[in-house]
Amino acid sequence: MAVLTFTLSEEGVTAFRDALNCLSKFSEDVSIEARKDTFFLSTMNTSKSAYASFRFATNRFFGRYQFQGSGQFQEKFFCSMYIRGLASLFRSRSGVESRGDVDKQAIIDRCDVAIEDGQGVKSRFIARIIFRNGLTATHRLPFEVTMPVHAKFNRQEALYHWSISSRTLKQLVDHFGPGTEYLDINTDGDHVNFTCFSEKTISDDAVLKKPLHTSIAVETDEFDDIDVEDKLQIVVSIKDVRAITQHAAITGNAIVARYSLPARPLQFSYASDAISCEFLIMTVGERGGNPSQRTKKGRKGASAKNTNTINAAVPRLEETSRRTSAAPSQTTSDAQQQQATTPSMPPPPSSRQPPNPTPRLSAARASASRIGAFDFRPSQRPPPPTLRSESLFVEDEAWEPVRDDDEDGDEDARLEWDHSVDPTNPSVAHMSRADDAGRSGYEPAEEAQSAAAESTYLDPTQRLSDVQGLALFPD
Amino acid sequence: MRFHSDLKNIRTFAKLTAAFSSLEKLVWLRLSDETAHFTVVPDTGSQIWSTLPMDFLFENCTIQSAEPGNTINLELSLQPLHRALKSAQNSISASLRLTKKKGVPVLSMTITTTTSRPSHANAHAPPRPSHDDPFGFDDDHDRTHLETSLRREHEKIITQDIPIRVLHPDTVASTVQPALQEPDVHIQLPPLLQLKSISDRFTRLALASGSGSSSSSSKSPRLEISANMHGGLRVRITTETADISSAWTDLDNPELDPAQLRVPIEEHPSTKFRDRGPDAWASVYVDGKDWSRVLSAGRLEGRVIACFCHNHSLVLYVYIPHYDDAGGDDAVLTYHVQAYSA
Repeated sequence: MAVLTFTLSEEGVTAFRDALNCLSKFSEDVSIEARKDTFFLSTMNTSKSAYASFRFATNRFFGRYQFQGSGQFQEKFFCSMYIRGLASLFRSRSGVESRGDVDKQAIIDRCDVAIEDGQGVKSRFIARIIFRNGLTATHRLPFEVTMPVHAKFNRQEALYHWSISSRTLKQLVDHFGPGTEYLDINTDGDHVNFTCFSEKTISDDAVLKKPLHTSIAVETDEFDDIDVEDKLQIVVSIKDVRAITQHAAITGNAIVARYSLPARPLQFSYASDAISCEFLIMTVGERGGNPSQRTKKGRKGASAKNTNTINAAVPRLEETSRRTSAAPSQTTSDAQQQQATTPSMPPPPSSRQPPNPTPRLSAARASASRIGAFDFRPSQRPPPPTLRSESLFVEDEAWEPVRDDDEDGDEDARLEWDHSVDPTNPSVAHMSRADDAGRSGYEPAEEAQSAAAESTYLDPTQRLSDVQGLALFPD
Repeated sequence: MRFHSDLKNIRTFAKLTAAFSSLEKLVWLRLSDETAHFTVVPDTGSQIWSTLPMDFLFENCTIQSAEPGNTINLELSLQPLHRALKSAQNSISASLRLTKKKGVPVLSMTITTTTSRPSHANAHAPPRPSHDDPFGFDDDHDRTHLETSLRREHEKIITQDIPIRVLHPDTVASTVQPALQEPDVHIQLPPLLQLKSISDRFTRLALASGSGSSSSSSKSPRLEISANMHGGLRVRITTETADISSAWTDLDNPELDPAQLRVPIEEHPSTKFRDRGPDAWASVYVDGKDWSRVLSAGRLEGRVIACFCHNHSLVLYVYIPHYDDAGGDDAVLTYHVQAYSA
């Protein structure tokens, strides 16, 4: 007896595939959670710095949807699957599609899914894919019954928000070149600045290997709605933002960002007809600037409220910093700061204490504690190849030099800088790749560093109750 | 040292950088009052030496340098430059400025642009034509579009900082252009896309047959390129099992300008080749993959003249017309193709 059966229409298959593609940029596994009226796809990345979820309204999204609760799945069914395995079922055959009517038949017409589980039944995700040419393919995928981990976002805490057309945001993100790691979002008067940068330290000799440093100033009028603190800098991983905007632009609707302070999570959300999407990504960095000035547009008469909301926020900050002592470790980059602040600062006696006269300090403290438990991933893999074929920048393939398969890596290397090259090579005179010769020293050092960073992470064996108070698990 | 200029012909500039970057990551740029030189010298393989009139890519240009001849020598990596130029395409305006940011010299490109409105482009396309298409959109949200379209006209300022290295004149003095000989044969090449697709096919064929019989000595195949003074061009590949060639006829062997020659026209090697008839071929061997990179020059859509010195050298001249000034000097790219003798 199937626990869950549903049917995806042709559009449903496409939407499902888009969601899986987007999730695959965060993690390797997807959690499925099905109830009578909602169906969730979600994932959290391994460093727990990003969480992505898609909620499908079952009555509108699925052609047919039936949930038969029984046993341990009385209320809801949940499992975890390998994304690539699942996504490959719905793989786009667009390359074939474009060739002509004959091949058009290979388009997926619909997909029937049945999930079987229970006593004496093998746990299987059974997808029957019906192609337009009448062919039917049945896939049986194994899954693991694990409770999904959902990250929660405290909207009350998110003082600031803006919303903008997802396509506009995507077009902005497209201007950022490869090789960068972070996106800094800040406001300056009536402009919002998006700055893409890299923090990799590069020696003077390798200065030409630095990636493009891009900043875009967007007028606040461009936003549908904006309410943020002036000069507040929010830094997130550009890789995550790329993955999100790429998917958001498909829906074409407005995307909303909500956040509070550095080192607190930022939420991106948007919705299309039957799907609502939510992403939580950790922000890095420290608070600076003046907390009282806000850039605002859209809502009127809310300015009087500002002081209140900020005061209300301070206890929250105190509360979080009180948990600092519970945070088991920090990253190397913040360790010093942590040592400098925490020991000298006794835990506040009460979270109800009057607003801290130096909010800047408390924020910094919060940031130091936060990062340890919920770190920014240390060694980011380069964005998957799909990200390179970006909208505005379609290359003319015909003019690309000939290459054979075994040289593909080589070709890629030719286009992008290798940051592992020995920076001590002084040959400036010879304006070429002389430095290819000395590929030593630098890389191991970097590895050692990242290994060191790794060791300070939250131990994976940590019990859930220990981390409950942190970041994505507000109580 | 100061350099500031508005950019024009950005599309051509981007194509130039794309053609350069198919050969090397770095380019040496020498700016002076009259000309901009882009030079690409990889460790191995073909080199590009190009001379562009300053007003080809720049306008309202300011150069101030303490170096002799008011020149500025910069080394920059092509990938960020190319990427920045792509950002600047379809912009309202773009300018380039030499400056320092956090003590590091950069070439800062300031772009004023709007977000494009792609909605009308594929209104009749299926909802999601292809996966990568960011403009795939469904018609359900017309209301939203109308609403936002009013907002799209806002300008955005994009700053792209391209890392550079300022080169000392002594540093660049050691990089000199290879000497040019009077050619045996000069001929205008057929459309490069045609030439490239055939050459690439030969190269792949040789690679495939080479991997079958692992004894093949050189990993990259050698193509034989030959031309005569009677409008003929041949591309040929020889492997252990195959010998294939493609031939073009009725190509143009342009007239030489006697005023430009170092020898009287009667004594010029090409005159002798012409006299020897259509069976006199000047040939060189080129590396298949390198040749493929060289032929990326085709994206510049210029006229290409190939100059052969038999068994010695092959030089391509790519002439890019001056679009907005018919009387102005053309930009010339000189490709010193890496050539091998038989």
